[in-house]
Amino acid sequence: MSVLKTPLSLVSVGCAMVSASVFSQDSSLTNPNISAVLDGYYQSGDRGLEGRGEGFGLGETELAISANIDDMFYGKMTAILAVHDSDTEVELEEAFIQTMGIGAGFDIRAGRFLSDVGYLNNQHPHTDAFVDRPGAYRAFMGGHYFDDGVRLTYVAPTELFWTMGLEAFKGNKMRAAEVAEEHDEHDEHGIEEEHVERDYKTIGVYSAFTKLGGDIGASSSWQLGLSYLRNENGMGFIEEEHDDEPHIAEEHDHSGHNHNAAYSGENTYIADFVYKWAPNGNYKYQHLTLSGEYFRVTDIFSFEEHDHDILSTEKSDDYHQGWYVSGVYQFTPHWSAGLRYGEVDTHEVHGEHLDAQKLKETELSLAWHHSHFSTVRLQYTNQKGTNFDGFEDDNIITLQYVMALGAHGAHQF
Amino acid sequence: MRINSKLIKAVAGLAALVCSTAAYAELNVFACEPEYASLVKSLAPEADVYSATTAMQDPHQVQARPSLIAKMRQADLVVCAGADLEIGWLPMLQMKASNSKVRSTDEGLFYAAEHTETLDQLDNVDRSMGDVHAKGNPHLHFDPTKLLEVAKGLSAKLIQLDPQNKPQYEAAFNEFSEQWQAKIPQWQALAKPLQGKKVIGYHSSFRYLFNWTGIEQVADLEPKPGLAPTSSHLATLLARAEKGDVMAIVVASYHDDRGAQWLGERANLPVLMLPMSVGGNEQSTDLISLYDNVLVLLNGVQ
Repeated sequence: MSVLKTPLSLVSVGCAMVSASVFSQDSSLTNPNISAVLDGYYQSGDRGLEGRGEGFGLGETELAISANIDDMFYGKMTAILAVHDSDTEVELEEAFIQTMGIGAGFDIRAGRFLSDVGYLNNQHPHTDAFVDRPGAYRAFMGGHYFDDGVRLTYVAPTELFWTMGLEAFKGNKMRAAEVAEEHDEHDEHGIEEEHVERDYKTIGVYSAFTKLGGDIGASSSWQLGLSYLRNENGMGFIEEEHDDEPHIAEEHDHSGHNHNAAYSGENTYIADFVYKWAPNGNYKYQHLTLSGEYFRVTDIFSFEEHDHDILSTEKSDDYHQGWYVSGVYQFTPHWSAGLRYGEVDTHEVHGEHLDAQKLKETELSLAWHHSHFSTVRLQYTNQKGTNFDGFEDDNIITLQYVMALGAHGAHQF
Repeated sequence: MRINSKLIKAVAGLAALVCSTAAYAELNVFACEPEYASLVKSLAPEADVYSATTAMQDPHQVQARPSLIAKMRQADLVVCAGADLEIGWLPMLQMKASNSKVRSTDEGLFYAAEHTETLDQLDNVDRSMGDVHAKGNPHLHFDPTKLLEVAKGLSAKLIQLDPQNKPQYEAAFNEFSEQWQAKIPQWQALAKPLQGKKVIGYHSSFRYLFNWTGIEQVADLEPKPGLAPTSSHLATLLARAEKGDVMAIVVASYHDDRGAQWLGERANLPVLMLPMSVGGNEQSTDLISLYDNVLVLLNGVQ
């Protein structure tokens, strides 16, 4: 994660955007698309799992440049400006190149980009119909998982849409927390503070996914996806010391903002579907989108026992899971409404055992679109937590705007 | 033995089928709009043509949906209006389809707008102007002269991609061109009584049709290009319509006609829904019948 905190770098990024935009009046395919997304909100309470906080705030302010580099390569850069407390962080969310057909249906993308696992992950959050990503995404993908790596995709020459892909990523942000044996001042044994450095794999994440899709008549379209994500560094280790209470550094306990996955495991399985309908397939006036995803994260923890210098490891059978279903109906060009329900079941280390947690979210949103580029959204959220970071039963109202400036790239299905 | 002979026949039949498809490897064409699918069918009768949209769908707002990616994956040629009409979805399809044949206009990509002069080109585009295109109005298939220019360019593109069948493409173009040029005087005769008539339109969808027929679009149901009619805007249109010089309210087959009907009732004006493209109504089965039908419908209300 490249975080530039100096005001100077902010200014230089800003200047780069301004000077480039002078030349982009003709938004042709060969000139760069330069766009910004503005996202601001007021919310009446705090959301769990790195969701938006109470009060006035800004979501992700996005600056993006994209273009065909030549007839072979496409490139895109997206910078995110996020404000947390008094810090403004500039983060590169995307900086990738992609081939535009290397033959036989294959393509390669390299650099920093959004993983194509699941349905929502490769979509930019500003296109979402709800204020925050579903809890499952906030718990297991850090909101949306982007990282440095490479992807190979294949599109089959079939009437039915069928694509397959393989990805490899650095995976730092998907790492399970380091095991730390903290010994306080009142440590009876008088041993110096010991910090067990975990030997992380440098290529931490591999993924494989496939998507199928097609039309049903002129009015309906569908897509199904299956993904598997292997996280070499995803399993947490719990050390059982007889005198000491074991500790695990929980990254999501850190104050401030991060894009790291709050809950990880070695294996993540995702199944997703999306169905879209518009009368006669004409999306101008009315359309309906139904979607849903299921996440299962396994091999989340193993227990390590030191007994006379013999290390025994026992894997936990517990797993994390999360799912959501969502329906969004745009009933006029200016108004849309959405309903989403999702659950997250996770486990947190407590002492020498795992405690089950649950978060249920019911969300109702109503959005007004003055044009394709401007949205004002009112959302009601009910979050019910069981043993979940102190969240029990909250009713939250959010008022948000999301607006796009400049030449904006085409959206995905 | 009977089973064996059946098996042999089946295998031979299958082999023949495979060989025959290989021998007549048709050009696989992906058209963005039905008017260009129809034009390709005229110019390359053997081609396998797919239209990404229908005349009931606004080509500005199309989803880069899975079926379109699958179709573009297999295309030898992609034919679109261009002038940024498909800017919201075509680049995404090109990226997802992993088909190098159709990424550049030097190869299997064809933009109609690059083969004729578009109307209303702008030097400077600002979002406050609404959804306008700097490269001019892309709905150019309703001008008979410009469409013939596009047909000529498209025929050359077909020959470039499939030089072996050059004589067939030339013959098909000549036939189309003759038929088309024979129709132009008939259409001009039908357009004559329409000259100078005033209409209220929806978007600049029929900009080219009105331009060559001499019809004047005095007001637009859209307050700004791409924005749906609002009640306050309709009220100003009602005031305009009450002047009494407007012939009709004209909307396209993919437009919602509620605003037009509201205005038509109050201003006592006929509301005419014209097919935007081939397939926009029963009568419009190809480009020639589309032109015939649109002119008959317009003459019906004057």
